[in-house]
Amino acid sequence: MLKTPGHYAYMPWRRRPRITWPGGARIAVWVAPNIEHYEYDPPPNARRMPWPRPVPDILGYSWRDYGNRAGFWRMADVMARHGVRGSVSLNVAVCDHYPEIIERCCELGWELFSHGTYNTRYFYGMSEDQQRDVIRENRETILRASGQSMDGWLTPAISNDETTQDILAEEGILYTLDLLHDDQPTPIRTRSGKRLVSIPYSLEVNDVPLLVMRNTPPERYAAICKAQFDQLYEEGEESGTVLCLPLHPFLIGQPHRIAALDDVLRHITAHDKVWLATGREIAQHYIDHHLAAHEAWIVEGTP
Amino acid sequence: MTGLPPDYFVYPHRRRGMDHARYPYRILPRTTPLAWPGGARVALWIAVHLGHFPMDMPLKPVVAPGGMERPYPSFWDFTQRDYGNRIGIYRMMKAMAARGLPATALISATLAREYPVLMNDIAAAGWEPACAGLDMAHIHHGQVAEAEEAAWITEATGLLRARFGDALRGWHSPAHSESHRTPDLVAKAGFAWTSGWVNDDLPYEFATEAGPMMAMPLPQDLSDQRMLHQQNMATEDYVTAILAAHAALDAEAAATGSGRILTLSVTPWLMGQAHRIGAFAGMLDAILARGGVWPATASQILAAYSGSR
Repeated sequence: MLKTPGHYAYMPWRRRPRITWPGGARIAVWVAPNIEHYEYDPPPNARRMPWPRPVPDILGYSWRDYGNRAGFWRMADVMARHGVRGSVSLNVAVCDHYPEIIERCCELGWELFSHGTYNTRYFYGMSEDQQRDVIRENRETILRASGQSMDGWLTPAISNDETTQDILAEEGILYTLDLLHDDQPTPIRTRSGKRLVSIPYSLEVNDVPLLVMRNTPPERYAAICKAQFDQLYEEGEESGTVLCLPLHPFLIGQPHRIAALDDVLRHITAHDKVWLATGREIAQHYIDHHLAAHEAWIVEGTP
Repeated sequence: MTGLPPDYFVYPHRRRGMDHARYPYRILPRTTPLAWPGGARVALWIAVHLGHFPMDMPLKPVVAPGGMERPYPSFWDFTQRDYGNRIGIYRMMKAMAARGLPATALISATLAREYPVLMNDIAAAGWEPACAGLDMAHIHHGQVAEAEEAAWITEATGLLRARFGDALRGWHSPAHSESHRTPDLVAKAGFAWTSGWVNDDLPYEFATEAGPMMAMPLPQDLSDQRMLHQQNMATEDYVTAILAAHAALDAEAAATGSGRILTLSVTPWLMGQAHRIGAFAGMLDAILARGGVWPATASQILAAYSGSR
């Protein structure tokens, strides 16, 4: 068993080589709606049961289903109103089940990246070939449904196994979201030495931990997101930071919570030094302009 | 029904005082008055938990707050904790340095090997280093064999002494968990103070086979791990609780003429989050604004405590 992921070097949060964002922005903000399908009757996985209740867990199933029927549409309208594009953490089977959702995402100019096939198909215990097959099939599906190249990856339910990041690099993925160790992009080391970077996702301002696990009322959710933004905006004067706002339509798209999203996006877009980006854009900018300096700083011992 | 065996009704330690020999019963309001430097009413002890959480940690019989909750390999849990050691700790250092506040770092000793740069920055900040065991995969508890536990303490002590030398005077049992013999082994390893027991507002003498150590007050009910992580309380409610504790301790000190200690048991993977660091800084300002505060490390507090005896 591994003690640590072993995919990144220690980088203390001081005196890092400066990151600059396009247009002199201090902060890159990206919004990541998780558009998911949790299966009605999924197969079991030895390390995790897909549903807390015996199948059919009609409460759990229909709660998520609300997101695709109602929540997504409400959420997408609010984002569009603020001119904020999404980078979709997509269970790619949604392309088959609900093509209308994919059409709407494309119409809004959103990026699609893979969050696996279904959120009920964990990577725990897959062989390397099986992981590779899923990644390749996901890439083909996203290309077919949207014309987009699949550049980003978040393992379903963050159920990555030991070698998942290695395989992502070998399959030419640009950025991974499976690691939650930083507020800036960082280099990711893999066994092949092929390039892969991490860009910040978040469980701190993620609606699932906040609203479901931590019982946060909508106004406090908004206050937390705004406090996260304010701090990273301030720190971004020294070196560019990243705020990721992960969303789940079945939660944030509920009628009593949609105003909180509106509030957060209004706050963010009222600041002038903000780069409203997608995951792909952040990863590519970092690779093109800052990755080498970060790697060199690590080699120097992070002075 | 035959009921329970007769020895269930034998009470061998039923007597005045404690049912163990670590310390005598002491009544807080009757404790010898303490004088802090400069006539301060409240010593502010900031104890920062720097933990390393290996993904292969045992999940029985005791898991530390922040231990692995997701199936192996939980990048989910590991990287959220590790964020504290990369980023959160630096935000907290900056907030404390801006206010001239020292801290005491309760360090998983394997961090001295994993992140020597972090150790250098802690030393440069003037913080007191203390040993919080090997790491969060090595929780001391009653089912650990004595030789194994002794070996953990030897290894942990060696790692941190190699970096900090004699400045290493304190021990914190990770997750506030110990075996019957942990204090004896820790005292034998040369530690002068310990902070695993959560039973007082002031230091007291803790007996061991290797002579007495001082127990430092590190409360459970006011720890950020307890309130923010285990109890899912809001940051605002945490701050309100700390300020209420300070107000009560400050009033007691004013009324009795004896100093008190406000301990902040804080954790970079919680308090050093971007959305929380502003509240932490604001809380420090509110405490300092009340006056009569003496910010100090554990060893400074214990020196003043001994001087008042």
